[in-house]
Amino acid sequence: MTQPATAAQKEAPTPAAKSAGDKESSRRPGLRWDIRTLSLLGVLAVLVAVGGITAPDEFLATNNLQLVLTQASVIGVVTVGMTFVITSGGIDLSVGAIVALASVWATTVATQEFGFAGILFTAVIVGVGCGLVNGVLIAYGRMVPFIATLAMLASARGLALQITDGSTQIVTVESVLDLGARDAYILGIPPLVLIFAAVTVIGWLLLNRTTFGRRTVAVGGNAEAARLAGIDVRRQRLYLYLLSGLCCGIAAFMLIVLAGSGQNTNGNLYELDAIAAAIIGGTLLSGGRGTVVGSVLGVLVFTTITNIFALNNLETAVQQIAKGAIIVAAVLVQRRSLHGGDA
Amino acid sequence: MAKTPATSRRALLFGTAAVSTGALLTACTSNEPKNQEKAADNAAPVADDKPGKAVTIGFAGPQADHGWLNAINDNAKNRAKKYKDVTLEITEGSNDTAQQIGQIETLINKKVDVLVVLPADGKALTQVGLQAMRAGIPVVNLDRIFNSPQAYRCWIGGDNYGMGLNAGHYIGEQLKDKKNAKVVELAGLDNLELTQQRTKGFDDALKNYPNIRKVARQAADFTVESGQAKMSQLLQAQSKFDALWNHDDDQGVGALRAIDQAGRDDFLMVGGAGAKSAMDAIKAGNSVLKATVLYPPTMAASAIDLARALGQGKGIGGLAEFEIPSSLTLYSAVVTKDNIDQYLPTGFI
Amino acid sequence: MASPPPLLTMSGITKSFPGVRALDGVDLEVQAGEVHCLLGQNGAGKSTLIKVLAGAHQPDGGEITWRGEPVSLGSPIAAMRLGIATIYQELDLIEGLSVAENVFLGHEPTSAGFVVRGSAARTATAELLKRLGHSEIDPARLVGDLSAAQQQIVSMARALSHEVRLIVMDEPSAALDPEEVDNLFRIVGDLTADGVAVIYISHRLEEIRRIGDRVTVLKEGRSVAGGLPAKSTPTHEVVALMTGRNVEYVFPERPKVEFAAGREPVLKVEGLTRRGEFAPVDLELRPGEIVGLAGLVGSGRSEILETIYGARKPDGGRVLVDGTPLRPGSVRAAVRAGIGLAPEERKAQGLLMLESVSSNVSVSTLSRFARAGWIDRRAERAAAHQAVRELSLRPDNPDAAIRTLSGGNQQKAVLARWLLRGCKVLLLDEPTRGVDIGARAELYAVIRRLADEGLAVLLVSSEVPEVLGLADRVLVLREGSVVHTADARELDEHRVLDLVMEGSPTP
Repeated sequence: MTQPATAAQKEAPTPAAKSAGDKESSRRPGLRWDIRTLSLLGVLAVLVAVGGITAPDEFLATNNLQLVLTQASVIGVVTVGMTFVITSGGIDLSVGAIVALASVWATTVATQEFGFAGILFTAVIVGVGCGLVNGVLIAYGRMVPFIATLAMLASARGLALQITDGSTQIVTVESVLDLGARDAYILGIPPLVLIFAAVTVIGWLLLNRTTFGRRTVAVGGNAEAARLAGIDVRRQRLYLYLLSGLCCGIAAFMLIVLAGSGQNTNGNLYELDAIAAAIIGGTLLSGGRGTVVGSVLGVLVFTTITNIFALNNLETAVQQIAKGAIIVAAVLVQRRSLHGGDA
Repeated sequence: MAKTPATSRRALLFGTAAVSTGALLTACTSNEPKNQEKAADNAAPVADDKPGKAVTIGFAGPQADHGWLNAINDNAKNRAKKYKDVTLEITEGSNDTAQQIGQIETLINKKVDVLVVLPADGKALTQVGLQAMRAGIPVVNLDRIFNSPQAYRCWIGGDNYGMGLNAGHYIGEQLKDKKNAKVVELAGLDNLELTQQRTKGFDDALKNYPNIRKVARQAADFTVESGQAKMSQLLQAQSKFDALWNHDDDQGVGALRAIDQAGRDDFLMVGGAGAKSAMDAIKAGNSVLKATVLYPPTMAASAIDLARALGQGKGIGGLAEFEIPSSLTLYSAVVTKDNIDQYLPTGFI
Repeated sequence: MASPPPLLTMSGITKSFPGVRALDGVDLEVQAGEVHCLLGQNGAGKSTLIKVLAGAHQPDGGEITWRGEPVSLGSPIAAMRLGIATIYQELDLIEGLSVAENVFLGHEPTSAGFVVRGSAARTATAELLKRLGHSEIDPARLVGDLSAAQQQIVSMARALSHEVRLIVMDEPSAALDPEEVDNLFRIVGDLTADGVAVIYISHRLEEIRRIGDRVTVLKEGRSVAGGLPAKSTPTHEVVALMTGRNVEYVFPERPKVEFAAGREPVLKVEGLTRRGEFAPVDLELRPGEIVGLAGLVGSGRSEILETIYGARKPDGGRVLVDGTPLRPGSVRAAVRAGIGLAPEERKAQGLLMLESVSSNVSVSTLSRFARAGWIDRRAERAAAHQAVRELSLRPDNPDAAIRTLSGGNQQKAVLARWLLRGCKVLLLDEPTRGVDIGARAELYAVIRRLADEGLAVLLVSSEVPEVLGLADRVLVLREGSVVHTADARELDEHRVLDLVMEGSPTP
């Protein structure tokens, strides 16, 4: 490798060599990113084809697109937060429970008296508060994320049950309900989908364009190296769980709008869905690499699968078997294309 | 260091905001309706008002993490309150089999006169039922049945097959003049036997109406969230159908939300199990929900009646036999706008 | 104006970790614009010292002054703000980030305080790389895709991305080719000409002669000499400072008769090689013989052992046991042929730390005590007990939990495992690491006895006296090549250290 090194050294000042280098610089990381994303887009394309063939009239309709995106939006927002946590080498098992607690807390009779703002505020603050507890326990209490968030899962679910006593809290605030109605669509896009899109874009920018994102990747890639580079690793961890909690709070509000109610069983198994979507999307479970776009595509793959199954009226048992098989297939396809690209 | 005052002021502001937020949030956990009286407790006639021998009834149920189970607990408590001669020993609800066994053993040790048990898992709690019976404590087994008839003195519970059957017959009668009628089913948690029984009853009933075809069935999981998700997919899949049966009124909240969001009102919906929100909707009559098939939570009140009668050595009125029957399967009544006033006070608060 | 104070002085620095006193009074003085070399054997405290300097470890005692002012280096950021940059041998870069992202990690050029201006970072990185003579490295490439040498350059670019007054380089030349070393020295020269001080750590004395100004020598956590002139201090004096020991080792006597001579070799290694780790190696091992591999960390010692054992796949060459070649890269084949390994990281690689002595000893021979999958625990325990007794392992109780044993006895349990298996060749990687001095003699005696009973032993140790005292023959390794082979009695410690550092035997 010495030879090319000295050769390049001599050529470096010439503009030709410089522009060649620039071209490479814009292509190479892009290529890597594209292969992962493209393979997932490929999976999605296959699913769309299957949907289009098996249920042509229903699947390809505009309102079905609206439906799939709406159904993806709640778990999608949670997954964006989860992507950050996993990228940093952590895990957040409490997302489903936080969504449940926030959605329940924000729909009590007392909260509903404060109207739209009260519900939104409570959902977000409860989410952030739970994230804060997670973050403090993990960053400053030095608890393993798995255990700390497992504890949060149990207590948040418990608290949600205590608040509701198991009953469903119907939302009576019209302005909240209206947000989920058809006539609230903006240019044919449901408001929930707009929120989802906004969170995705902000998440992407945050991960790829800011110091916060850089530090997240650094902490996940090599926490000790990050510390030696002068990053406050503990504070970064705290912020990450706060972010996940914030996403849960937003998701809880969206779920309230979608379901018109709050229930302690909300957000059931969100943690697994979010982790699965992030991993399928190409985020490394061991940390150090994360992709918001991949995670969102992962969520869309799952939601599309569910949609196709329902449109074709498949039994629950068949759905579950096929879902497992598709997860494995998606990951295998991705690995193959990735290795092909590297070699 | 010039930053310090600003930082501390910011910290102070933030601290104040955090504290007041906390206070506000704590206040927000309240679920007591402010201007609304809690509706009358189950107003169904009490079996035998004449006070008799004092009876202590032990009650053990699962965790009330679902509206229906919550109604069960309320029914039991309120019914017991009506009797001056009944003391109710109620345990903390639990879904953990081992914990529930422990709770029931404690009740046995306390020597309660009668036990009412709604097991988290009927099969797993059979042994402790046997244990109580051997200790001379009669057991009223509520809804989820024990493995052995020796483990209970009397079983009282709902009829899942009958629920499906009655839902099917109601829909069948409504659609009997319609050619090529289409029906859709939104089932509950598919892992549960009761869901399979409800579907079987529904299908059996529909066989009597050759003009009706069930075109789709999807399973939700008793949660509002899943009800909304599955129903919106079903609506997308079936652009035209005439009737919908939904197994569970809790998930029905989500289903109704999905129907509302899709702007559909071209079919008739029948609910299941019964819940306050569904009853209100039926009474108001302004939604697609026209009826619900009960899986009555009043069975808990009846169980208290039975337990009291067992404790006092009485029978129940209206039957020729002196003894209390060993098994009571409740009828899954169809509640419509016409008869709803009769049912509203029976536990749907 | 009087002569300016030194850029950096450290005096009486101490630092303990649980169970280890890593620094025990270190003094160091560095002037602006000089190349100050830090020398010392493995474990002398160099790494701890530079971590203290980088703000990554907090010293327990001692004083640090910077340009005449006392300072505390409370965090990596504090050290960077003063202008101290450190280039570590490892742990330094994040593979999932690009070159530019790594270079500016922690101090990214931003707009609005948090939006990274990626193009600005890439441009600045390209400048730095050009200055370092490596403009062929693309700032947008992922660091994980670069070669080790290129990563080294990136680390250096990162150090230069700060306003530096002092750069600490921990073995910067270890991964570099000779031409690249020349380039490195050119950079060091440029830096010192600008008044930047460099603390240079290297095992290669010839490098220190070429670019160093002064030398400080560390030994067992203390600075034993400071400010020696780098160009004129004789090698043997430096080596003597590094090695002067206060502990005498007791080694068992070698057998009087040349027991092994004339016997057929049991293990033959022919041209075994792994690219980037070690050049083709030939060696023969006879029953009853102990052969030592001497060399520094990174000279390929452990890699050779692990390749013989099949844990690494060779790029060329072969391993024969009793004349039969083994399937390359297969541990199962090696074990079946009778090779056993006592690995370097005993706790991580060798032992089941939660189990008993008995399960640890029998783990490689379980099938012998099992019928249809059921383990005959009594037979297992008896056999383990027998092996344990032969090695006089204390306590004499196969049911004791392995983690309660001392390091020496844990090592004996590993040896007992292979004894029970009945292996012919034993590969020992740092067998006395973490074993206290007293227990070592006993371990040496056990190893010698096993050899006397006909076992062939290949020994790796970074402690030269141990290799010389225990082995019959010694192979000296330097950067992946065998530079010298001799009878152990013909070598002494200085000679070996000269060999591993200089690479050419001095008369």
